[in-house]
Amino acid sequence: MGKKNNSKSNPIWDFITSVKLAVFLLLTLAATSIIGTVIPQGEPLQRYLEHYGPTWFKIIKGLHLYDTYNSWWFLSLLGLFALNLIACTIRRIPYTIKLWRRDSLDFTVDRLLKFRLKKQWKLPPDTDSTLLEKIKQVFQKEAGRISASKEVDGGNLYLVERGKWSYWGLYGLHASILIVLLGAVIGSMTGFKGNLMLHEGEASDHVIDRKSGEPQPLGFQIRCDKFTVSFYDTGAPKEFRSDVTILENGQEKLKAPLRVNSPVNYKGITFYQASYQPIPEAELTLTTPDGKETTVILPAFQKVELPEFNLILGLYQYLPEVHGVPAVRVWIEDGNSPARTIWVLKGSPKEFHSGSNTFRIALKQVKNKYMTGLQVKKDPGIWIVWLGFFLMIAGFVVVFWVPHRRLYLWIGEKDGQKTIILAGQSNKNKIHFEKDFEKVAQAIEKSLEE
Amino acid sequence: MTSSYLLSWTTFIYLGAAALYLIHWVFRVQKVGVLATFTTVAGFVLQTAGIILRWMESYKLGYGHAPLSNLYESLVFFSWLTILVYLVIEWKIKQRVIGAFATPFASLAMAYASFSPRVEDTIQPLIPALQSNWLIAHVITCFLGYASFAVACGLGIIYLIKPKSGKSTGLLGMLPDHRVLDDLMHQTIIFGFLWLTIGIITGAVWANQAWGTYWSWDPKETWSLITWFVYATALHARFIKGWRGKKIAILSIVGFVSVMFTYFGVNFLLSGLHSYGSG
Repeated sequence: MGKKNNSKSNPIWDFITSVKLAVFLLLTLAATSIIGTVIPQGEPLQRYLEHYGPTWFKIIKGLHLYDTYNSWWFLSLLGLFALNLIACTIRRIPYTIKLWRRDSLDFTVDRLLKFRLKKQWKLPPDTDSTLLEKIKQVFQKEAGRISASKEVDGGNLYLVERGKWSYWGLYGLHASILIVLLGAVIGSMTGFKGNLMLHEGEASDHVIDRKSGEPQPLGFQIRCDKFTVSFYDTGAPKEFRSDVTILENGQEKLKAPLRVNSPVNYKGITFYQASYQPIPEAELTLTTPDGKETTVILPAFQKVELPEFNLILGLYQYLPEVHGVPAVRVWIEDGNSPARTIWVLKGSPKEFHSGSNTFRIALKQVKNKYMTGLQVKKDPGIWIVWLGFFLMIAGFVVVFWVPHRRLYLWIGEKDGQKTIILAGQSNKNKIHFEKDFEKVAQAIEKSLEE
Repeated sequence: MTSSYLLSWTTFIYLGAAALYLIHWVFRVQKVGVLATFTTVAGFVLQTAGIILRWMESYKLGYGHAPLSNLYESLVFFSWLTILVYLVIEWKIKQRVIGAFATPFASLAMAYASFSPRVEDTIQPLIPALQSNWLIAHVITCFLGYASFAVACGLGIIYLIKPKSGKSTGLLGMLPDHRVLDDLMHQTIIFGFLWLTIGIITGAVWANQAWGTYWSWDPKETWSLITWFVYATALHARFIKGWRGKKIAILSIVGFVSVMFTYFGVNFLLSGLHSYGSG
């Protein structure tokens, strides 16, 4: 890209369209990206003060280094990068049009002889025209179909041209980066990312937005019917799975298993299995003063009222193993004395008093119920990003592996002698082209010897 | 016989091949060169068998996954691909000198995989996050990139140590021509850059399927992007500024340092989503 219209040049436009700026931005983005991999991102600000001390903390806070990739200066660099990309492209278009419109047959014999790849054969004056026709056939057979021909310097110039369109691949490749960025911007402006914790059996019509912490309505309900986790014999996790149901206006619309790497999508909102939490549920046997036994189920985080005995019980703490057996700490309220807790180990029933009554309580078992953690996302820009990725790969292949190659054959009279000239040019993969050129030259050589 | 025992042997075979390539280069004995190629191919066949055996072993253990899931397996694969890329180049340019610079990379990777106490060589089952077909696509494409960049780095080193006015007399005169080296280096970088690009893209598609974000600026992702920027700079400097030879050779080495940091540095020095790659 030379400086062609200096008379019209404007220093700001020149700066924005310069490749110097492009290289500077590439290297600056590379260098500044390192920061966010060295300083942990997204921690509470207090942590940075504790870890780095007041001086560094000021810098980290001032430059948003706790969230580098969303900071104003990093986003500005990315914006400038996009701008530079657009500007360089616009500036280059006339040059590409010129290349593309260039007449490949606009050559003189002298210019052909200045090619790096050329070969010239002087033929004896009595060469008959059938041989020349044969040479043309050989050329066509080895080099490919002749795309154009023209009379040049009193002889015939034949051209085999391929891949001229590949000059446009560059625009596809560079546009793909802008398309990916556009998809990302659209996604972040029109979509959301959220978290959702659901107990087994629980349903929700909203999620918690990850950025704002505000509830984000879904427009339908999602219910976790069951969560299962399985392990390999090594103890490593094998599968996390939530069986979920989508409900709309109270109607079941979709039932599907949700696993890591296999999300569930409904109306543009996608649910991902992210985490889980075991929630214990204790099953106890309560023996009342009159000797009757009742089963009491105590789920976590809930108080259970037993009005017939004037008791409120709760699961206060759970330890999977105390002296080899599970143990629960039971919360007891009876309205008379202050609330208290007692430890009950499996196999060792305990007694407690409520007023004048004596109860016996025994731990039957503790079941693990689960709470599943889902990540929830709506990203209308994702298909634009995928399109950008596809175009990037396709553009790349065109830019680097589709050459514009031209092979010329000139048959005519030069300096009073019948002459054949073979010349060729390729804008990429020149070593490979050289071999192809040699092959054509040898084929011509061979048929001349015959 | 276990696959890891078999694979540990390739360390020495590639080391032997490196020595033979070196002898071939220094003493210019054609026969030693042929022997070097033969040794490398033998090592490659053995390594391929080792990888297949390991795959079968994982099925016997009931896990059944391609051997591309942890640091040990990735190192073996990296070494295998480096040899593959080198053998293709040797076959294309019909010169063996580059072998003295490429086989040590493969031997080093295997030595590190087999003998470092930091690298666990047992077959582990796949945790849920890794249970995806994208794993294979992602690892193969990334490592095709890494292996190409390793070879490009080797070519860069050769370029820099070869004297400019290379009269083909001295030891260094036997090295390939500067023009050939420059073109080969450029081609290898382009090849590696395409695979790195596809590797990043497959990673993004996979991350979107597993976590719902195609890009989260996790250190491994960020470092792969930094590497991508370095090679993008090298390509633009060549196309637009006409940088050739020495400057590109230096960028090729700098780029490979960035590749190595993406591969190892991130695992050992930084933390993030790819932490299972360090086991």
